[in-house]
Amino acid sequence: MKLVTVDIADSRVSADPDVTLVTYALGSCIGVMAYDPVRVAAGMIHYMLPLSETSPDKAKARPAMFADVGIPLLFHSLYALGCDKKNLIVKVAGGGTMHDESGRFAIGQRNYTILRKMFWKTGVVISAEDVGGSKSRTVRLAVATGRCTITSSGEEVEL
Amino acid sequence: MISAAEVAVRIKRLPIFPEAPARLAALLAQGSSGVDEFEKVIKPDPGLTANLLRLANSAYFGLTRRIASAREAITILGLKRVYDVASMAAMQGFLPARLPGYELSSDGYWQHCVAVACLAENMARAGGAHAPALVFTAGLMHDIGKLVLGEFLALHAAPILEKLRHDGVSLIGAEREILGVDHSEVGAEVAFVWKLPDAVVSVIRWHHDPSKVPEGVDRSCVDLVHVADALAHSFGFGADIGELRRPLDAQAFDRLKLAVPALELVAAGSLADIESLTGLAKASDRGDKL
Repeated sequence: MKLVTVDIADSRVSADPDVTLVTYALGSCIGVMAYDPVRVAAGMIHYMLPLSETSPDKAKARPAMFADVGIPLLFHSLYALGCDKKNLIVKVAGGGTMHDESGRFAIGQRNYTILRKMFWKTGVVISAEDVGGSKSRTVRLAVATGRCTITSSGEEVEL
Repeated sequence: MISAAEVAVRIKRLPIFPEAPARLAALLAQGSSGVDEFEKVIKPDPGLTANLLRLANSAYFGLTRRIASAREAITILGLKRVYDVASMAAMQGFLPARLPGYELSSDGYWQHCVAVACLAENMARAGGAHAPALVFTAGLMHDIGKLVLGEFLALHAAPILEKLRHDGVSLIGAEREILGVDHSEVGAEVAFVWKLPDAVVSVIRWHHDPSKVPEGVDRSCVDLVHVADALAHSFGFGADIGELRRPLDAQAFDRLKLAVPALELVAAGSLADIESLTGLAKASDRGDKL
């Protein structure tokens, strides 16, 4: 098995059945995992922030930093590999939050809200998700099988 | 519960922290120091000089040409900045392979230290002002208490994890409840032994209680580091057993007068800084135990 790390503000796709994509320590960041069982290919993004208007310069240099430009990039990279939108199984993890009763620091929620809006507009269905709470999540996605696991608070669960 | 005496014994057992930063801090405090005095402290230490040059030449410090000598670094970066860089060089050489108890690798811990330093400084600048002196070093050093408390945490791992994962208690709260002391109190003691400047000691002591800072202590650095710490954890820089179970002080956040878009801009702008200063620490080191 080849482990391919998806760094923070990074997006990776692969059609190599030996590859497992992994991203570490999703806090308020969000990971979107997409798998095409027909083409047998998968992709993952680990974005930090909701909107590229925050910093158009950074969005140009590292589009995967932002949901609004990063998520389309992930999907287009999968289409370029020969994936078909109607076959894609899409899962979401992250969007956690600190202990912040005031709600002033809601980056995780903002990250999730923009994602839901984008998927609603483009007709993408989320087949499974593990979002919110005060967890830090590590996500693995196997290209060969689409098996997606989340490790958090010392436990690994299948998503 | 652990006793103050037990903590004191562990602090004594820490490897000796390099003297140079304390001597530089003393020179800074005197106010009359110049390039020569700084050079006299740095030059005899080849490890520190090499680290100083390597770090001073990293993109974060924004120099247009390569620095080749300690003297040049001092002249170009300025005394306060050289103190920051010397602290960083000293810390980097000091890190243990792992922080027991927190389930954090040395690289993960370092990445968190650097992230908080960069975020705190960049937040201060985003407010339109000069960053307060030493905020970078304060950010870098804010968690030194963990270097001591980790061993105690490891001995009480089961009840600590129970508090965190089942009772919804924050990491700092779990430290207080189970050990009777937290890493900010222990950190302030370590900082005293290491002769860190008062402003840095205050940040270490109060970074989890920014609204409890005593009168007469400058709160601006404490607020910056508190919010930078929250941001760094939020973005997964140095994820440990506490995960996101860390309270944010809304008043500290409000005192910074940074709207959410400004904060997000700081975060976006700081990522490259953090990566360049940590030498592109492998992502796998951020959460390898999660």
